[in-house]
Amino acid sequence: MTEGAESTQSTGGPESAENGAGTAERPFPDLLSDCVHCGFCLPTCPTYVLWGEEMDSPRGRIHLMGQAEEEGAFTDASVGHFDNCLGCLACVTACPSGVAYDALIETTRARVEEEHERPRAERLIRSAIFSLFPHRRRLELMRGPLRAYQASGLAGPLRSSGVLERVSPSVAAMERMAPPIKGKVPALPERVPAVGRRRAVVGMLTGCVQGAFFPQVNTATARVLASEGCEVVVPKGQGCCGALSSHSGRAEEAARFAERTVRTFEKEGVDAVVVNSAGCGGTMKHYGRVLREAGRPDDLVRRAEALSAKVVDLSEYLVALGPRAERRPLPVKAAYHDACHLSHGQGVTAQPRELLRAIPELEVADLPNPEICCGSAGVYNLLNPEPASDLGARKADDVASTKASLLIAGNPGCSLQIAATMRERGEEIAVAHTVQVLDASIRGLPPSALV
Amino acid sequence: MRDRPIRDRSDESPDDRSTTDPAGTDRGQADRADRADRLSALVPRLKGICGDDGVITDRARRRTYESDGLTYHAEVPGVVVLPTTAEQVAEVLGLCSAEGVPFVPRGAGTGLSAGALPRTDGVLVTTSRMRRVVEVDPDNECAVVQPGVANLDITRAAAPYGYYYAPDPSSQQVCSVGGNIAENSGGAHCLKYGFTVNHVLGLQIATPQGELVRLGGKAPEAPGYDLIGAFIGSEGTLGIATEATVRLVRTPQKVTTLLAAFTGMDAGGEAVSSVVAEGVLPAAVEMMDALSIAAAEAAVACDYPEGAGAVLIVELDGPAADVDADAAMVRRLCERAGAFEIREASGAAERARIWKGRKSAFAAVGRISPAYIVQDGVVPRTALGEVLGDIARLSAESGIRVANVFHAGDGNLHPLVLFDDAEPGAGERAAEVSGAILDLCIRHGGSITGEHGVGVDKACSMPRMFTPEDLETMDLFRRAFDPAGVANPEKLLPTPRLCGEVPGVRKDVHPLVAQGRAEQF
Amino acid sequence: MTGEDHQDLAAGQAAGPADTDRADGAAGPLAASGVPVRPGTDRDAVGGAVPRWVAAPADTKGCAAVAAAASREGLALVPRGAGTKTGWGAPPRRCDAVVDLSALNHVDHAAGDLVVEAGAGTPMKDLADVLGTSGQRLPVDPVVPGSTVGGVVATGLSGPGRMLYGPVRDLILGMTVVRADGVVSNSGGRVVKNVAGYDLGKLHTGALGTLGIITSVTFRLRPVPPAARVVSARADDPARARELVASVLRSHTAPTAIEADRPDGGAVTVHVLLEGPEEGIRARAEEVSALLPGSSVAEDLPDGWGALPGGPGDTLLKLTTPPARLPAVLDAVADAAPDTGPLPVRGSAGSGVLYGALPSATAPASAVRAVASLRARVEAVTGGHGSLTVLDAPPTVHGAGLDPWGTVLGLPLMRSIKQNLDPDGVLSPGRFAGGI
Repeated sequence: MTEGAESTQSTGGPESAENGAGTAERPFPDLLSDCVHCGFCLPTCPTYVLWGEEMDSPRGRIHLMGQAEEEGAFTDASVGHFDNCLGCLACVTACPSGVAYDALIETTRARVEEEHERPRAERLIRSAIFSLFPHRRRLELMRGPLRAYQASGLAGPLRSSGVLERVSPSVAAMERMAPPIKGKVPALPERVPAVGRRRAVVGMLTGCVQGAFFPQVNTATARVLASEGCEVVVPKGQGCCGALSSHSGRAEEAARFAERTVRTFEKEGVDAVVVNSAGCGGTMKHYGRVLREAGRPDDLVRRAEALSAKVVDLSEYLVALGPRAERRPLPVKAAYHDACHLSHGQGVTAQPRELLRAIPELEVADLPNPEICCGSAGVYNLLNPEPASDLGARKADDVASTKASLLIAGNPGCSLQIAATMRERGEEIAVAHTVQVLDASIRGLPPSALV
Repeated sequence: MRDRPIRDRSDESPDDRSTTDPAGTDRGQADRADRADRLSALVPRLKGICGDDGVITDRARRRTYESDGLTYHAEVPGVVVLPTTAEQVAEVLGLCSAEGVPFVPRGAGTGLSAGALPRTDGVLVTTSRMRRVVEVDPDNECAVVQPGVANLDITRAAAPYGYYYAPDPSSQQVCSVGGNIAENSGGAHCLKYGFTVNHVLGLQIATPQGELVRLGGKAPEAPGYDLIGAFIGSEGTLGIATEATVRLVRTPQKVTTLLAAFTGMDAGGEAVSSVVAEGVLPAAVEMMDALSIAAAEAAVACDYPEGAGAVLIVELDGPAADVDADAAMVRRLCERAGAFEIREASGAAERARIWKGRKSAFAAVGRISPAYIVQDGVVPRTALGEVLGDIARLSAESGIRVANVFHAGDGNLHPLVLFDDAEPGAGERAAEVSGAILDLCIRHGGSITGEHGVGVDKACSMPRMFTPEDLETMDLFRRAFDPAGVANPEKLLPTPRLCGEVPGVRKDVHPLVAQGRAEQF
Repeated sequence: MTGEDHQDLAAGQAAGPADTDRADGAAGPLAASGVPVRPGTDRDAVGGAVPRWVAAPADTKGCAAVAAAASREGLALVPRGAGTKTGWGAPPRRCDAVVDLSALNHVDHAAGDLVVEAGAGTPMKDLADVLGTSGQRLPVDPVVPGSTVGGVVATGLSGPGRMLYGPVRDLILGMTVVRADGVVSNSGGRVVKNVAGYDLGKLHTGALGTLGIITSVTFRLRPVPPAARVVSARADDPARARELVASVLRSHTAPTAIEADRPDGGAVTVHVLLEGPEEGIRARAEEVSALLPGSSVAEDLPDGWGALPGGPGDTLLKLTTPPARLPAVLDAVADAAPDTGPLPVRGSAGSGVLYGALPSATAPASAVRAVASLRARVEAVTGGHGSLTVLDAPPTVHGAGLDPWGTVLGLPLMRSIKQNLDPDGVLSPGRFAGGI
């Protein structure tokens, strides 16, 4: 089609951004009935792209949800298909009817966890993951041994032996995805003063995985915010935001994390809560739903909603604020990857690009198939290693096709996943969070700081 | 669209098919039980062909295939197969023919006539795993694709060479080429560029008897009967396309989209007539009435001119100088017809903004009505004004709201008949209005379907448009491909089981029927 | 759907003259149809055989009565319009009667809808005249002068404009056909957009009257473009001609036609036809002209635009090829008949449909050999995508064992269709591929 005609034919998702509106009070069957079965979601669904099966598409899963609703029970088959969902929410963007698939799948997952008996091995791996990941301290304890392991030279032989794959594909996936651990990064102070005239006071979420494995991203975030005139508040008591639990149907656990996060931040009286991890931001913008589904009292739900209204992705915030610090040239050929929970979950696609475009000499390519998930999807790559790795391979192909030397994304999981896949193929690529690139530019660092 | 299925047989399990009928004709109870057994016996053989992974027998999984885009009709398929090669498709069909088991083809399941409505006593053959763009050949202006490839993916593959695939049904990012071939899909731009049948150079088909046959190729006009032309639009009743060679069209130099707002539909219609009379051939001419504009505003805030009782979207493409000349002409004609605001866009983003409201209209109607029926009828373009008036009268008399969105250039109406499914009897009244609109189309010498196809949904309306002799001839043609009557039975042509006694059907026996070479429907 | 024509056929048959008229030797068994019937003469010969009768029905109903009578009596029929292409295809195995459709001459033009319905016997020229008064046209070039609507459709013959507007089959919206057993059947409709039922009009287009007698056709029309230009250039050889053609195809000039003409195995003339609004035509012609070195620009079509090569008595060839294989096919045609010299060849270089002519002087046996070897070569150089069919040949060449069709994909399906629609072989038996 003509460049223009193409755009007339792809119905975009501007309307879908509204999907959250008014879904809160509507009963589940009502939300289900919004689906008119048009199938527009199919080509954007990663598992449909992989397998071409109706029941592993959003339309099929909605049908399965309807069946469960009708029959009052989940079958093993349908639970398998819900588990296969990456929760990337590309379907939400694609849906012309405004179906709230995000709410549907989260509710369904919670029900599955409540009502459906999983096989023992599956239960064990799930509880192992959830006793580790959302807990920053525990994750931090892993840093030492991981660094030692990575430095030991054991990784290569162990990977090629396939021992881990035989023991558990999930454990093997964890090993593969483990980020390279650099030396200790100094902890952020509780308050970072604004550089120059103060324009705002913002709270900052440090997150669990981000905080433990990517402290440099948090440091860069604080530095960039400060350079742009924000006083950054980093509340000490914060932990996991609850996103990982929420995405996996662990409703109660998610509510506990959410509640703590709400209490922690509402005390600080900040103008905004800035989040640099797409998955966290997506969930935090729906805290009301998270708490309501877990049966928390109304006043708490309302407080959560009030906090949600202040949650912004870092890129959204910086664009709205407008640049103040000078951007210095950064001659690098980069590619930008849309993290699902940023693009589909929060509708944030233009802002990161705008920020990056403003950096002199930085060349930023878009990936082919930008709407398709990289397979990381929170802990999905640990629970469903096979499709995750197939999707990672597709994404790696797309990244390689841009011939970029730096991959930029707004979510740590994506970077881990794609970098690990490319490393395995011997196509090492440097990865950075959008804010690290900004930080480098503002500080005038050379390209070697990133690539 | 949100209405409950009226033919829901979802309660039947594969082991409980006592109420299903044999393909094509009713042969009685004993035969039905026999067919159930045959289907069960088929499963291991289907697995032998498509692999364990390519055969779906689990009931919950099968149920996700119970309807296509028209959920009004639903039936759980007996078994679903997901072949990956043309050979597998052919083998599956051959097996069905040999065993007398019906099969139903399915692409992406986006059809709006229940053409892919499965059968509990049959095999649903899904091409969703055959989605490779085999070749893009810009030198010969064509591409070779598997049937499961999405329509828009051809354009994506051809774009780097400066070409695109012209048919553009509104579901083009998801609907499959195989489905387009089965339905002879058009799209907003078919006014100028024609339908799928005008863009297919070659096909490989699996016949209902299980043979793979190549027709045409990269050269046009292959010798012999135009089987490609006859196959396209046959709704899966003649077999399954397993590969297609499609024409690619050079990307136009310029595309300009005009949006003209009128206070009423009459003025909009007059503008369309004068554009045609002046000899301008736009790529697309679309119109929306006040109700559909309101729906689109509610859904996507398309920001169409306030107070518009009708908006007309005219898209022109081609060499830049031609487009500019035509755009100026269209502008003048719209002004003369009384347009109170005209917007013009040539950039991709601006054009997308104009199209946004139109593209979202169907789904958007859900925002102003709990349920609705999308009708698809065609009238001669010159009868549009009169028919729209009649529709307005029907709507007023019945108290059922009708929103009009249509391809004004070719007289293809898509009235959206709105109702509240919670209100007793509303669905029936809406269906009546929808049926009456179809009557209007027929009365004005039009068609019962411009692009959605006949499928199951309109099979019983076929006698309103065609004589018994016409239908018999079509059936004779069908039997030439499918003597066993297993290919998507009870679609496209009316059958007594589906439609009751079809009035006026010839009572005497055709010689072929007498000789046992064909079955009369 | 043509309204009154197709109704109450059975009643019409019953009311018509019955078997009592069989004694009438002049009309023979067709007298039962109640249609004027005369004895056939040499001028009615089909493929060299003189039919015993010529029936001239006045309308679809009469046509149906003739077919019904023929079907009952086991007679073979060959439909005919103006008779300009009656020799096309293989000679029918039998031809008891010609059905002369020239009385089915009517035009029903819905100008506001850009649609026309015309009787099969309507001369294309008359149709064009009627449409022209409303500034419209059926964009089918007059390839064979004197043709009727039915003849053009039954042979599926398209000219240069096929590149933009598609072959004639792309312009057909609906059709009324009389089946071999005398049943009248319609398909399609009178609106430009319609997917109800099988599009049987496609099947009858180019079927040489072997599946039914076309009695009326509904077409979609186009406005007559306000302006036209033809840009012509000479290429020294086929390879260069293809380069020129490809450069125009890749431009944004949206040509209506790109023709190649190689009369003597030497240089190739490339003509590019542009049509459209006055405002844009100059710029487009200049752009094309710049792509074709040494070209000239004219406002009128060159002489013989779209005409078939060769003359009476020649063996007329139709070649199809993927457009990029044009040079190889042009070369193959040039050397097809070494003893008679290079063949003239011309046609749509843009879409890959060419016509060639083996001179009438070619000995029948040599012509048969030349066709076979050229066909093999065309298939080889086009990777099996191209084809060679013989549209028309003198009876002597047919008699020498000519295979007019060559490889026909899907032949078993075609036989099956014929079997179902004309089980007794009433309609032009043997005229089509595979002896259909």
